[in-house]
Amino acid sequence: MRRLPALASALAAGLALSACQSVDNSAGSPSVYIDPGSVGPVKGVGIESQDIIGMTDQMMRDMLAQPRLANAQAAPNVIIDSEYFHNESSSRLNKNSITDRLRVGLNRAAAGRMQFVGRHYADMVAKERELKRQGVVDKATLPAARAPKGGDYRLGGRITSLDSRDPKSGMMQRYNQIVFEMVDLESSEIVWSGIYEFAKAAQDDIIYR
Amino acid sequence: MKRLLVPAFGLLLLGGCASLDPAPHCDMSRVAGQRDLVAGPAMVEGETSPLKEMPMNSVSITDPNIIRKLYVRSIAARRTGTGTVEVVAQVVNCTDFPLNAEARTQFYANDGAASEPVSAWRRLQLPARTSNTYRELSLGDKTVDGYMIEMREGK
Repeated sequence: MRRLPALASALAAGLALSACQSVDNSAGSPSVYIDPGSVGPVKGVGIESQDIIGMTDQMMRDMLAQPRLANAQAAPNVIIDSEYFHNESSSRLNKNSITDRLRVGLNRAAAGRMQFVGRHYADMVAKERELKRQGVVDKATLPAARAPKGGDYRLGGRITSLDSRDPKSGMMQRYNQIVFEMVDLESSEIVWSGIYEFAKAAQDDIIYR
Repeated sequence: MKRLLVPAFGLLLLGGCASLDPAPHCDMSRVAGQRDLVAGPAMVEGETSPLKEMPMNSVSITDPNIIRKLYVRSIAARRTGTGTVEVVAQVVNCTDFPLNAEARTQFYANDGAASEPVSAWRRLQLPARTSNTYRELSLGDKTVDGYMIEMREGK
């Protein structure tokens, strides 16, 4: 009779062990955070986070496979900002979210294969240079540059779209085309081009802010 | 009479298995048979992994929704002009319906650690009974020694 509890605990341990053998294949705790690289619960026909992540990742990898950009004897000076990247589509979006992600991702991955010029910070740099040269502030620790860096290549591009709607069903369809190009700032030659395109169809377009 | 009926019934069964479906034909039992099983848990460095069917330099269809619908026909990797790695996988839609799939690649260094962030999901449109090619490029050059592709259904 004394053996019973021992037997029961051995059985329980055995059961617990056998339970460990399989995956607990249940859903995780609900969260307000969602994966920006996947389609979220609010989805429409416009450009969304997964599209921005997808297109910038693709362009970044493609540029690093282009010998003129990523295998030159001297690492080229590259300008990537939204100055010449135009949104002509019917999608409402901040185009900086595309060019910023592209520049940041490329700068982190390039590891010296390209150099990045912060032309959108030109004002900031000019003001500090002026203060240093007037003697208002000291010369800091880095050696003085004769002039700020010039660019060898600059990003240009365009976002366009084609919309269609079925008035009977209210179904909306949009073809989105995003073109990225790197332009030689001396010769105006386009040294690299990339295109990202997709079409979406949904019952009703959602509101993008 | 019984002796005659049994082989005739067998022949009928065999005839029923012969398919007149158009190409491609995917033998999913053979695909399943090719999968390697790795025994033992991996708790410390250098031990065998408890994960099945995820060897290096391979495509893993991780989504049960499409595992019996898609077939990865070929996979290859090569160096680009800048030394980065391009992986190419040809995927076949074995169904009579259009499918959306997504794939991403993790590139690894020779010590088995991830050499860079995983790539973004890239969408693949596969009309009924067609094939399409998934391509991905690495960010790093000399640091890349292996890769692993994951594939799931696109939403």
